[in-house]
Amino acid sequence: MIITDLLGSRVFGPDFLGFVSDVRFIREDSAGRPARLYGVLVSPHARSSSLGFERSGVRSPWPIAALVRWRHRNSFLVRWNDIERLDDDRIQLRPGFQRASPELP
Amino acid sequence: MTSNTDDQAGPWLDAQLHLLDRQVLDVDGVPVAVVDDLELSEVPVGQEIPIDTPPPVITALLSGAALATRIFGGRPPESRMQSTPWADIAEIGVVIKLGVQRDTLDLAWTERWVRDRIIGRIPGGRHIPQQEHDDDGGES
Repeated sequence: MIITDLLGSRVFGPDFLGFVSDVRFIREDSAGRPARLYGVLVSPHARSSSLGFERSGVRSPWPIAALVRWRHRNSFLVRWNDIERLDDDRIQLRPGFQRASPELP
Repeated sequence: MTSNTDDQAGPWLDAQLHLLDRQVLDVDGVPVAVVDDLELSEVPVGQEIPIDTPPPVITALLSGAALATRIFGGRPPESRMQSTPWADIAEIGVVIKLGVQRDTLDLAWTERWVRDRIIGRIPGGRHIPQQEHDDDGGES
């Protein structure tokens, strides 16, 4: 699988939730270890990337930041363990999945 | 329902934000490629994923003719993509730095081919240009 198979996919819980706007990985401590998939960022309104605006404290340039944050409002992060099934252009989440903050620490 | 453990303290990488479209430099700082895609390890597709299935990992950076398909949709054939193993990465920042030289990568095969088969057959094409000197021995 390649990452563009996941980006833009439609995400469903019981109902349609949004689109995969990005995929988050976590790097292991030791050098050379591969980065493992942590979760997917789900945006209810847009397939495109949010350019990091909704994931950090960046607020400038404010017109662009405001527009991007509005387009990606109510975005959330779903962890790998909450993904029940991957299909072509579709991700099904497990019942009782949890929404986490999409913000980067 | 899964664990709510929030271990968001590690070094995070968002694919679009931190990896895709980044310039890749080799160990000498020579541009190698741009990251067009990421190759993941095996993921069960089209079937239910058991809850304890380990998450996929990034196995390679992919580069190739992917720009048009990312704009207009679809995907380039895998044969058109060249991979750089994840293990070759030394540092991820504004650019992605590799710990190996460009010549050791499959990615640079076209440049090597042109260098060896075309440029190398031109007289003087197999060595770097000599510096010109003035009559007094100083550099021009």
